[in-house]
Amino acid sequence: MENRVEHVRYDHLITRQNRAEKEFLARLENKKPSLENAIVVVNPYLINPLAAMILFKTDKPAKAVLTIHGKRNDREDIVHEFPEGTSHALPVLGLYEGMKTRVTVALSTGEAKDFMIESQPLPKGICRCRNVATSLDYFGTNWMFLTPAGKNLPTAFDYQGDIRWILTENTMFDIKRVKNGNIITGSSRFCHMPYNSTGLIELNLLGKIYKEYRMPGCYHHDHFEMPDGNLLVCTQDFSRDTVEDMLVLLDRETGEVLRSWDYRNMLPQDVAGSGSQDHHDWFHNNAVWWNEKDNSITISGRHQDAVVNFDYETGKVNWIVGDPEGWPEDMQKYFFKPVGDLSKFDWQYEQHACVICPDGDVMCFDNGHWRSKNKEKYLKNRDNFSRGVRYRIDTKKMEIEQVWQYGKELGQDFFSPYICNVEYYGEGHYLVHSGGIGWDHGWASEKLGAYIKLDDEGYDINSKTVELKDDVVMYYLEVDGNFYRAEKLSPYHDGDNAPFGDGKLLGHLEVTPDFGTIPELEETSEAVDAWNQIRIEEDEDRLVFHGRFQRGQLAMVIMDNGSEKKGYFINTAAVNYLAMCSGAYLEDDDRVIKMNISKSSLPAGKCEVKVLVEDRIFQTGVVICN
Amino acid sequence: MITEVNTPQYDALDKKGPMLVEFYSKTCGPCKMLGFVLKDVDKSNPDFRIYQVEFNENKELKDRCGVKGFPTLLFMKDGEEVSRLEGLKQKPVILKEIEKIKT
Repeated sequence: MENRVEHVRYDHLITRQNRAEKEFLARLENKKPSLENAIVVVNPYLINPLAAMILFKTDKPAKAVLTIHGKRNDREDIVHEFPEGTSHALPVLGLYEGMKTRVTVALSTGEAKDFMIESQPLPKGICRCRNVATSLDYFGTNWMFLTPAGKNLPTAFDYQGDIRWILTENTMFDIKRVKNGNIITGSSRFCHMPYNSTGLIELNLLGKIYKEYRMPGCYHHDHFEMPDGNLLVCTQDFSRDTVEDMLVLLDRETGEVLRSWDYRNMLPQDVAGSGSQDHHDWFHNNAVWWNEKDNSITISGRHQDAVVNFDYETGKVNWIVGDPEGWPEDMQKYFFKPVGDLSKFDWQYEQHACVICPDGDVMCFDNGHWRSKNKEKYLKNRDNFSRGVRYRIDTKKMEIEQVWQYGKELGQDFFSPYICNVEYYGEGHYLVHSGGIGWDHGWASEKLGAYIKLDDEGYDINSKTVELKDDVVMYYLEVDGNFYRAEKLSPYHDGDNAPFGDGKLLGHLEVTPDFGTIPELEETSEAVDAWNQIRIEEDEDRLVFHGRFQRGQLAMVIMDNGSEKKGYFINTAAVNYLAMCSGAYLEDDDRVIKMNISKSSLPAGKCEVKVLVEDRIFQTGVVICN
Repeated sequence: MITEVNTPQYDALDKKGPMLVEFYSKTCGPCKMLGFVLKDVDKSNPDFRIYQVEFNENKELKDRCGVKGFPTLLFMKDGEEVSRLEGLKQKPVILKEIEKIKT
């Protein structure tokens, strides 16, 4: 039977990258080019058009110094020395967009060569710098990495606001550099609405993925590297009726879950809700931090306006920073009493990105959304403010003092109802990133950025990132679009910037539960209506089913291997999400659904894909080999 | 046995013993699926009474029963609600609740 729907089959990005790497390394081994005839591969790992690799051999061991020359003057040059060797594969980062960048390789043998490397074109419609104010003396050759909060791309800007790094994969949520110099961020692979991806990826800045840590409960919002390299990762259990309320410790080598924490065992779910709380997303965990001093974990729950600290070993709550209104009497002992200058004190509401400072102070990005526990006192966004804030807590006296903040005075101009982060660089030296700013005809929008329709004039979304030193703004970046977090990183680190070897898929996806009942309806040989826009994307470990359905239609995907059938129910009811921290998976037409089905859940062997729409079962002509 | 009832018909029912009352809407995909699940339940429990009430056409009854959305399943015994489930549920979950009200 011919295919009647769109069926796209592709290899996992790791597989494609492994193949690409083998190809250019084979060219190096076969041709053995000298520096003079070096092989230059632009975008060697397929997803960073502003990167390249220079490959060559030397007869004698030599150190190589790589210089990526600045556009304007020598002070902008990025310089990195690579270890001695005879086989050289130098990762070139930070090519300029739309021009040839001069790159010099100078060997310790005295040989040197200039390359003029042209980057690949950047995708259309990417987010660009609107304003930047800093100095080269302060910012140096660092880049500000911004992670997307929608269909935009992870992008890094230099001190002049030029884009020096971008991935053409829509990776998700947090980005951090780990001890080996790689970065870890969320995979771009869709898994569960509204914004859960299959797991974490560890990659270098060229874009080479070393590991994808697949997780049955998916990854969302944040992760933290422990001293032994293992990862604390925010997750959930989709077989429950609540989400974003679990934490796991992943083995860094195997991706295996070593232990887990369930917030339902620590906190009551139906109390102290923010204006965005519902039964399903009662906590909305958006940050995790491990504190070595007392072996405790601190988490941020947007939908209870609470930063909660608990013991790593026992899971017992130690303290909670937040407005105590609405919490039961027996939990009041965990809350702090404000002291100090109370005229300046504000609690945080719907906060993000909790950080524990070396002295035990607590920082977070106080979004301030609703700014009350009391519906009658909710503030409109135009009357509200967001800020970075630092609190000093005394866990013996259970007192709290606000010792620093930035952003309140800016009002709606710096207001983000969602996402954002703070970073502690040192005493008095902080980053405050307001990445979720939205505008409705000059006023702060009441909608989250993902829901603001930018094709209507009068609407806008943008992102502002500030670094302060002793309350002086040393860096200011304003860009198009909303960005989840900001992280300042140097392009090169002291370790191996581009080790080779096959990337790996670790862990496993959830076994997608099938629906026990398959309606006994007429199977027809008619094609499913083109209006339904059925599309099936298949890669190595799952399918993603896309389709458009009328509201309230009965719909189901049926996988039939001839002796066994499994049905996957498609919910065509409208869903109203009160949190949309990344709009990456939202569709313009909200009748379009997508559904991830892991291959581990399918009947064995070859499965015909059928689609039930309302009162008939249609063939698609697609066969999946499991 | 599955029977569609409206408000007067529901009020006139003999409510002795166990029964299941489902509030549904004709415009709801999960409700349509639940209809097939209940047919499945009915096959294995042909003597058990299942009543279906259209949510939008029987507003007074749904308010009286405290039903806010659809589908909602009320597990009743001798006219009193013993438990309820909201949203689409699979057959084993429904059978478990039926066993509770049968005993």
